[in-house]
Amino acid sequence: MRRPLFVVLVLLVGVGVAWASGTKKRKLPPYEFGGVTINNYSQQAGMPPVVFDHWVHRQYFTCRLCHVDIGFGMTAGATKVRAMDNMKGYYCGTCHNGRMSVNKKKVFEACAKEYSRDEFKRCAKCHALERDAAREEQFYRFADAMPKERFGNGINWEKAEEEGLIKPLDQLEGVSIMKAKLKVQQDFSLKTKVEGMPDIIFSHKKHTVWNGCELCHPEIFIGIKKGTSKYSMVELFDGKYCGVCHDKVAFPQTDCLRCHTKPV
Amino acid sequence: MRTTILARMVLTACLVLSICLSQAYCGEVWRTEFEEACARTADVMTLSDNELKVLIGRCERLQKVIEQQDETARKVYLKRLQMCKSLYVYILEAKNSEKTQK
Repeated sequence: MRRPLFVVLVLLVGVGVAWASGTKKRKLPPYEFGGVTINNYSQQAGMPPVVFDHWVHRQYFTCRLCHVDIGFGMTAGATKVRAMDNMKGYYCGTCHNGRMSVNKKKVFEACAKEYSRDEFKRCAKCHALERDAAREEQFYRFADAMPKERFGNGINWEKAEEEGLIKPLDQLEGVSIMKAKLKVQQDFSLKTKVEGMPDIIFSHKKHTVWNGCELCHPEIFIGIKKGTSKYSMVELFDGKYCGVCHDKVAFPQTDCLRCHTKPV
Repeated sequence: MRTTILARMVLTACLVLSICLSQAYCGEVWRTEFEEACARTADVMTLSDNELKVLIGRCERLQKVIEQQDETARKVYLKRLQMCKSLYVYILEAKNSEKTQK
């Protein structure tokens, strides 16, 4: 009599543990927030996957430059970058070509057909086997000098740019198309569905300064007329609409009052 | 005899050079066309319906040319082209639906 009861109890505990571990997201430490692991071809070629840190790059470049002009997709692994692409001067190789300099520092060259044991250290800068303690320290040193943010990687990037602490480049010669000055669309408010929660003030200016128009329209936001598309927080947390960037790279959506800003 | 060989060599060199130059020129032509066709994404809201239609047409023609490029250039530029073309189509449709609503 006792044995079936014990079996049922063990099964219940097992199911409970599996359920909890499957649904609960691990809270990332600040230096890992915005990190992307790319493993389309690396392991097939006998290399560890690439660990891309957004924080390293976004201090120098706008989102638009990489995701529009260079052609990187918006989801990890979607671009299917090959070493050969980089060697031809596309994707990572657009900047990581051994010729470009940022802040008077030469940007290391990405990918090579042949490399010596010593040069392998260069490969390991992107093809990281495990977390690099020096890189982590580099992050905290950088973050210390930046305006603070409650969530995500703890850096308020918007304020950092306003205060002139970062000056992200939006165009690269030979890659970007020289365009007319961006005509910024007006800000607008979006009505909230929850009582007591302030409405959202969506700032086109804040978003277009780093993204341009084509990064969001029409791929992420289809409806052009206000109110055409109905967004729910469930969808947003599921990685749709605002959730394409927020939670992954831009500040997390759990910081409600960053968007719900309209005075009540 | 020597003159004939020399003449042949010169002719071959000219032929090779012209092929190389024409390829480089064609490469330059489609890139310039791409830059011109996708240059209006920043001020897209100021464009008229006709201007948008012309740009969409240019993007469609360019797509066929880019499809013939090498794998990497094709991948990068088709994505870039698709982003700008989609924006033009999107704005054109939005303008039309606004007109019909009025």
